[in-house]
Amino acid sequence: MPQDVLQQTYDAIVVGSGATGGWAAKRLSEAGLKVALLEAGRAVTAREFTEHIPSYQLKYRNHSPEIVRTRPIQRQCYACMEYNYEWFVNDLENPYSTPPDRPFTWQRLRVLGGRSLVWGRHSYRLSDVDFKAASRDGYDVDWPFSYPDLAPYYDVVERYVGISGAAERNEMLPDGQYLPPMKMSCGEVRLRESIQKKFGRTLTMGRVAILTQPHNGRAPCHYCGPCERGCMTFSYFSSPFTTVKDAVKTGNCTLITDAIVSHVDMNTGSNKAQGVTFVQRTTKETKQIRGKVVVMCAQALESTRILLNSSTREYPKGLANSSGLLGHYLMDHVVGGGASATFDDMKALPTANPPHRPTGIYLVRFRNTPATGKHPHFIRGYGFQGDSMPVFNFNAPGIGKDYKQAVKTGAYSITLGAFGESLASFDNFCEIDPNLRDAWGIPALRISMAHGKNEAAMMRDAGVTAAEMLEATGAKNIRVTTGVEMPGMAIHEVGTARMGNDPKKSVLNTFCQSHDVSNLLVTDGSGFVSSACQNPTLTMMAITVRACDHLVERFRRNEI
Amino acid sequence: MRIFGHEAAHSSPRPSSSALFNRRDLIRTALFAGAASVFGPEFSLAQAVSSGLTAAAKGEDGSTLLTDPNWRAAFLNDHQNETLIVLSDVIIPGTDTPGAKEALVNRYLDLLLSVQPAEFQRKFVDALAYIDAESQKQFGKDFRGLGADDQIWLLTPWAFARQPSHWTARNDTRNEAADLGQQHFELLKALIATAYYESEIGQKELGWDGEFTHGPYEGCEHPTAAHT
Repeated sequence: MPQDVLQQTYDAIVVGSGATGGWAAKRLSEAGLKVALLEAGRAVTAREFTEHIPSYQLKYRNHSPEIVRTRPIQRQCYACMEYNYEWFVNDLENPYSTPPDRPFTWQRLRVLGGRSLVWGRHSYRLSDVDFKAASRDGYDVDWPFSYPDLAPYYDVVERYVGISGAAERNEMLPDGQYLPPMKMSCGEVRLRESIQKKFGRTLTMGRVAILTQPHNGRAPCHYCGPCERGCMTFSYFSSPFTTVKDAVKTGNCTLITDAIVSHVDMNTGSNKAQGVTFVQRTTKETKQIRGKVVVMCAQALESTRILLNSSTREYPKGLANSSGLLGHYLMDHVVGGGASATFDDMKALPTANPPHRPTGIYLVRFRNTPATGKHPHFIRGYGFQGDSMPVFNFNAPGIGKDYKQAVKTGAYSITLGAFGESLASFDNFCEIDPNLRDAWGIPALRISMAHGKNEAAMMRDAGVTAAEMLEATGAKNIRVTTGVEMPGMAIHEVGTARMGNDPKKSVLNTFCQSHDVSNLLVTDGSGFVSSACQNPTLTMMAITVRACDHLVERFRRNEI
Repeated sequence: MRIFGHEAAHSSPRPSSSALFNRRDLIRTALFAGAASVFGPEFSLAQAVSSGLTAAAKGEDGSTLLTDPNWRAAFLNDHQNETLIVLSDVIIPGTDTPGAKEALVNRYLDLLLSVQPAEFQRKFVDALAYIDAESQKQFGKDFRGLGADDQIWLLTPWAFARQPSHWTARNDTRNEAADLGQQHFELLKALIATAYYESEIGQKELGWDGEFTHGPYEGCEHPTAAHT
């Protein structure tokens, strides 16, 4: 990179170019601030998308030994494939440790756009039942803001991103600014009607960041299916082709890729952050970049790692950690409960032909709601994702011509899988492992997390309620799962630098600003006070916009 | 071993929206189970810092390896290869559509096996050998040398679910041990079926016309209670 890129002092340094970093860069640069956007991975172009390559053109048809060798953890992610595994971190270069009895899977990308390239795209608002959950059930603390404080920022994000979905007027899942929803299959409509009538529960089409009509210069979905391999029409939301592009277009944002941030640099005299130090990914040279503000958007665990690696004499336990809470209260949605079944009276045949709808249904939380009251075995709740459609029956018995026919006859399947709230606990945490460094010499994390009794009870209940609802809808061959998957499997890590009004009991204030260091912000999932049960990315983006607008105000008032 | 089935969709926290995509889980689970422990403290940071594009992202077509006129097996010996060709063609024969033999199922499985851990390679070879041994026991010949009827006669009992004996189940006097032959057969069938249905021929068998889009998903358009 040209030397002068590193010579100037930026108004803001944004660390991470994913869903939140893209928004921070866009919002701040469009407000006229000079921004440096740092990404640990390389740039990405649409030329490398692989969504239209059939799997038989892959040498190993998605069973590449290279993934097994270099991505033993990343391959646990449904989206890590022979098509795109280079987007995911190489586990050999990016180690972390866990206690033997507390496994955690940390699935992440280092490439421009980060996980926004492969995310699940479900986009739900949290409600005040979530933000004020502690006031209702007495567990832990409320968020430092209420739904009305965040609602306008949800509007901003949804209008720009383009969320297809339907309004449902369900208090657990506030409605937003939606493009027309994708369509439900017969099986899904049948389930929706049945559970509405018999249980008073709401099944809606997944609210997803995938366009169903032209929007902000992007084309609607063409229903090829595998978004996680890229999209030549940019129909699903990923940051490189939207927010980051906008930011760079302002002329105010300098994008620096291959910049692996190791720590935040402090001016100890003024107790202000003055920039960050990074290691150039390919040359391994150490460089510094200066800014008036540092905005961390590297995702919860990585941002926390960088702050823990930024200790000074004043902050020996990690930067912005006078509370001692940095790294604690790690959450990830609990998954593992649910059920699947077949509708034997529905005869539609499966086909390998498109359209392949790239999302599914969402069954809104119905436990521990103001309407349903307190559950005897657990607090908080879960929602279901799933789908129902004809599928091939590769498991058909027999051999020969009959087997070939049975595969094609298939079955009309229905599946519900729960995402449950993960309770915030001090005992779930990450810290620096003193004996482990990554390939760039940066101290690595030790992650220690386990789901508890509440999560286990919730997944058991999810298996039971899923089975009940499928049975009540006339499904057969019901199979239940009631287990708890290892933490990290939901890929919804949040909470390691919690927000709050009390500096002794939180790391960030309500605007994601460090209580300790006023020009340091963390606007990714780190600030979450509770996980709720809804997919978190939309909320992370809304929080980022709110924090950035507040930051711009501080600049205008000359408070920086 | 249970590898197939639409319930596999639930193994991912995001149930996939198409049965097609579920197939990636078919052999993944079985095949790479042994690799889960690869990531231990022994890994080396001396690994080159890599970057770049996957072969697919570079636009390379990996399927041409299988159709190379000079193709040679990388893992299987001639007898194993021939046995696999014959076996795959009994399980998925050519009918009004091409079968496993034409889909070069043997060649893909040979490639896949060549990069598997030794334990899995042994499992596969053992399974093939078991079928030959049973064939020898019952007919005095290797499987590939049997007539089509005898091949079907040998495999069919393994191709259906087992249940306790009709006569003794009521009194529970006999615990039926897992049928070793069935286990071997199911492994082979699962791999053959996956290799077939993931091939270009297999995709066409499942109805794919080679297009990536046919417009939006239209969903259910039926009145209530008339769903199909």
